[in-house]
Amino acid sequence: MMNKSILKFVLDSQIVEIDFSKTDFRPSTTVLNYLRMLPEHRGTKEGCAEGDCGACTVVLGELGDDARIHYKAVDSCMLSLASIHGKQLITVENLAQREGNEIILHPVQKAMVDEHGSQCGFCTPGIVMSLFAFYKSGKEANRDNIVDALSGNLCRCTGYQPIINAAKVLSSLRQPDHFDANEQVIIKMLKEIKSDEEIHEFIHSKQTYYLPKNLKQALSIKDDKTDAYIVNGTTDTAIRQNKQHEYLPTIIDISAVPELKEIRSEVEGCYIGAGASIEEIKKFFSKFFPELKHMLGVFASHQIRNVATLGGNLCTASPIGDLIPLMFALKAKFEIVSENGGRWVDAEDFIVGYRKNCLFPDELLMGIYIPKIDKDEVIKTEKVSNRHDLDISTVSLAVRLSVDSDNIVREIILAYGGMAEVIKRARNVEEYLIGKEWTREVVESAKDLINKDFTPISDARASKEYRQVVAGNILLRLVVD
Amino acid sequence: MYCLCFLQKNYSMSKISHHESAIQHVTGQAVYVGDMFPSEKTLAGRVVYSPHAHARIMSYDFTEALKLQGVYDILDYKRIPGDNQLNLIAHDEPCLAEGTVNCIGQAMFLIAADTDEIAIEAEKLIKVNYEVLELILSIDQAIEKGNRLQPPRRIEIGAVDEVLKKCKHVLSGTLKTGAQEHWYLETQAAVCVPGEDRDMTVYASSQNPTETQLVVAEVLGLPANKVICEVKRMGGAFGGKESQANHVAAWAALLADATRKPVKISLFRDDDQKITGKRHPFQSTYTIGFNDEGIIEAYVVDMNTDVGMATDLSMAILERAMFHAENTYHIPNARITGHTWKTNLPSNTAFRGFGGPQGIAIIENAVDMIARYLKKDAAEIRYKNFYGTNTRIETPYGQIIQNNRLYTIWDQIIKSSNYYERSKEIDRFNGKSEFKKRGIALTPVKFGISFTTSFLNQAGALVLLYKDGTVLVNHGGTEMGQGLHTKIRQIAALELGVPVEVVKVNATNTSKVPNTSPTAASSGTDLNGMAVKNAIDKLKERLKPCVAKMLKEKFSDESDSDIVFCEGFAHNSSNPNQKIGFVDLVKRAHFEQISLHATGFYKTPDISFNKEKGKGTPFHYFAYGMAVAEVEVDILTGKSKVLRADIVHDVGDSINHDIDLGQVTGAFIQGMGWCTAETVKRGKDGSLLNHSPDTYKIPGIGDTPEIFNVELLQHAPNPPVIRKSKAVGEPPFMLAFSVWLAIKDAISSVGNHKYEPYYELPATNELVILSLESIKKHL
Repeated sequence: MMNKSILKFVLDSQIVEIDFSKTDFRPSTTVLNYLRMLPEHRGTKEGCAEGDCGACTVVLGELGDDARIHYKAVDSCMLSLASIHGKQLITVENLAQREGNEIILHPVQKAMVDEHGSQCGFCTPGIVMSLFAFYKSGKEANRDNIVDALSGNLCRCTGYQPIINAAKVLSSLRQPDHFDANEQVIIKMLKEIKSDEEIHEFIHSKQTYYLPKNLKQALSIKDDKTDAYIVNGTTDTAIRQNKQHEYLPTIIDISAVPELKEIRSEVEGCYIGAGASIEEIKKFFSKFFPELKHMLGVFASHQIRNVATLGGNLCTASPIGDLIPLMFALKAKFEIVSENGGRWVDAEDFIVGYRKNCLFPDELLMGIYIPKIDKDEVIKTEKVSNRHDLDISTVSLAVRLSVDSDNIVREIILAYGGMAEVIKRARNVEEYLIGKEWTREVVESAKDLINKDFTPISDARASKEYRQVVAGNILLRLVVD
Repeated sequence: MYCLCFLQKNYSMSKISHHESAIQHVTGQAVYVGDMFPSEKTLAGRVVYSPHAHARIMSYDFTEALKLQGVYDILDYKRIPGDNQLNLIAHDEPCLAEGTVNCIGQAMFLIAADTDEIAIEAEKLIKVNYEVLELILSIDQAIEKGNRLQPPRRIEIGAVDEVLKKCKHVLSGTLKTGAQEHWYLETQAAVCVPGEDRDMTVYASSQNPTETQLVVAEVLGLPANKVICEVKRMGGAFGGKESQANHVAAWAALLADATRKPVKISLFRDDDQKITGKRHPFQSTYTIGFNDEGIIEAYVVDMNTDVGMATDLSMAILERAMFHAENTYHIPNARITGHTWKTNLPSNTAFRGFGGPQGIAIIENAVDMIARYLKKDAAEIRYKNFYGTNTRIETPYGQIIQNNRLYTIWDQIIKSSNYYERSKEIDRFNGKSEFKKRGIALTPVKFGISFTTSFLNQAGALVLLYKDGTVLVNHGGTEMGQGLHTKIRQIAALELGVPVEVVKVNATNTSKVPNTSPTAASSGTDLNGMAVKNAIDKLKERLKPCVAKMLKEKFSDESDSDIVFCEGFAHNSSNPNQKIGFVDLVKRAHFEQISLHATGFYKTPDISFNKEKGKGTPFHYFAYGMAVAEVEVDILTGKSKVLRADIVHDVGDSINHDIDLGQVTGAFIQGMGWCTAETVKRGKDGSLLNHSPDTYKIPGIGDTPEIFNVELLQHAPNPPVIRKSKAVGEPPFMLAFSVWLAIKDAISSVGNHKYEPYYELPATNELVILSLESIKKHL
């Protein structure tokens, strides 16, 4: 029997082991806080400790099914140590190489130096790591891709122009780097860690952290530890730790459960596992359902989309969760499982109150099924936020609409976020519109019914008046577009 | 990394122009205060601050907190060995609250513990009882209560009241401009290391090492010569670390002195946002008189600013706002009055532009009103009112405008931006588009360079030559990302005639160069560059006899023409082929017992200002720039985006083109944040509602203009300044008014530019919707 409390990952081209029974680090200690305690890895910076600035960006290397290492930029301030088990952790210190006293910069670093991409330098390590992941992705260096790769990195000095220039020159600099040269060595190490894999329980004096490797194990632990907190991308838990200083005693991390990651299209629709990352879903949707790519494109940042999951976003049941209104409009069905079997619920029944879902303590959200959308049905989304990228919505709307051949509304779903303490449909507006002609005049006259459906609040993002006006206005766009 | 052998061989001047720390930045090797652990036992310091905006502290008890394992000490004001004071001049900001607290975020107690986690636990165990007192949270409330900080200030020229009465057209209005959080990526931080006999070394993230040193000395009750402050670099500052970095340093120093162990305070982001001051919000009323042509004849403006709970730098900030009340426009009759109001909020502080943006916003909005009122193009009205080149050159405070570059810049930007064509194109677009409207604006800036507190315009340097021919430069300025050390390195290399590779700029240290001014007012290079040059001039004078001697020995050259230092050699200007290598020269000079280190000093000549009379020549010169921005506004949500921005900016002869360009783009985007999206929201109790980047949104990469053309004005030397350059840090911030007024233009198009929209700064989505409503009620 292996010592279950030992975490293993690759850092600096070596397997690093952390024995949680012998250290102050908790399994849920963030990778950032761990790195900051290593004298050789203080290049990774803390700017906000909530995934909103990207100064702490590192890259995770994971062994893919294609026997290659896949590189993903992630915010280390929101990543628990335990969740990097069996992965390669790459920090800003790992990019340049030394030959004697000479430093050989990685092409992304050289581009940043040549294009004057750093001023105060504090955001720079994070920018360099996002650019590194971009470099490894092989994506074309056009404005959209550059903005997508860097929307999770804030810089207060440069105005971004020099950084955009650096990203642009990168595409011409792409060539195999020392990570390619060293790939097989790292793969061997990652396989070595995998080979001794079994159900992991990282036991620390103040915390037990389970990392099941299949659904059966996950459900059995959940059945046993009903008070345990389920995590996947750990973004939410990390914020509770960093900001509220709440340390959870029992955590089940389901990020290593392969059954939850499945994404498949079926004849009558598609199925998405709760553990699929938003970035993977975005890729899938861009082929399957281009309209939804937009909503997922403005979901948080690249770093967050790489780890945040569908299940995580849905289960928080937040009134401003980006994906919940969409699930309403898509008439998604949620598959819920436990040791004792499974059940299906409609998206709208899944949310039962402010930040409350319908899961029983022994249950897990397994995935969602999206039924096929008919040709004459339209799905649209709109997210209104103070900043275009990496911002939480002030008001969001997901719409399903079908009109008959006489332009009469047959069905309409208007699911609003940010307007109440839960995601809610504008039932009064919907009822008013059904059976009426789909014209601008009708929609204009329906606008005011929003006030019957919702009494929004004023908060740090917007006033209630703004929410009311905008909730009505974006309806108008539907009919005009 | 540097091989010195090339000193002997190829002396061609290096072309290196990138930031001197760029390689350290991109490799993660650059050290910031938070990365420093002077010893294994470096304690974590924590500030316990007031949760009430105005309250009497009735009692408190540390007993339980002190029992917690890992807690070393907890301090209150009684444990301060020196003066309980952070402001050395106004004396109105206690280091730790004594009796009452005057804002949320005011420091009350200090905890030293093994880790931040333990310190946070300890804080939860401190019991405090308060008696909550009445609050003042806005300028309106402060005016109503008469809660002034100081009597009003005034600058006046001409016969305003008489002229106003005779003006054909008179418009008046009110403008509110908002606060702005600095959001430097590196939060406030300091590490203090106690030495023998109560010596204290402070590693600070401070724009003002001398003041940090003096504030630490004051709270510790020590003479200045026992405290050293060192600043290697800051992870951004923007004015936020001009005065308020002293606070964190003082708190860490008190804990280090009490525990006799190194203590680090590195504020958590949310604490930093809650504790520190912001850009001063202004609320101003104005009346402007003009003729049919749109020529401004008289202007009366009353500026009201919210200073927060204490003086900080507010008086100088107000002064600069008043100095910029007329921006680029000649106004023969003007009365500019400034009022300072105290509130129960953290003391507002320096922020890039230092009041300039607040003053300029008012007149830019007023000129925009004039254009709409006269149904003329706003850029035309601006042009007509520009200061002249021979006449119309006196500012309201009596300074004469020289070397006016407005016309040159205008000619260039009108062409490069294709302003008139695009204005027409935008009209056509708006005619066809209902929910998306576009707008365009051209705005100019004229920014006065010099500290308006005249004595601050001085700087020192200490330049050391080592026997191997390398150079170590110490100067009083600090590096916050603006590239000051890079420029200083270039200046030293150019003045000494050596490659930049042999010059290193040291961390700023009060034991090397004393009594320095803050690195602020965009003046870092102007002042410190001159001081470095002064030191190098002295060294060169000392070396010249040695050069002459060596030339005579080696080449029998006895000509008495000037000795020059160039490309790693020294030679007679008349005979560049017979030359002495710099390394040989320095070795020989040492042998000849010539001192190889020198101090340098500089003070800006001929500037002064009489505060009572409101007259003088406060500025050494002015920096100019113009921007044209085009935006698209979503009428349904109020969202705006910048489609294109064109900038022409004047930096004199640029010392480093890429660094200057980076200052312009950075300032513009930062200004755009203030003008469009950044709002500081407070609850009814004075608490900060948006205290993290989750809700406080600075511009992201996607907010940058899709087309962004930035040019530096060419062939525009500025003779009285180091290498004929101009300061660049702050002026381009105000170019972002082009975005702000382009949004207003788009809004105005909804009413065919017939009605003046209600407007404020920032033009958030929410304000745009409100502004649109103000138009729609006319339709």
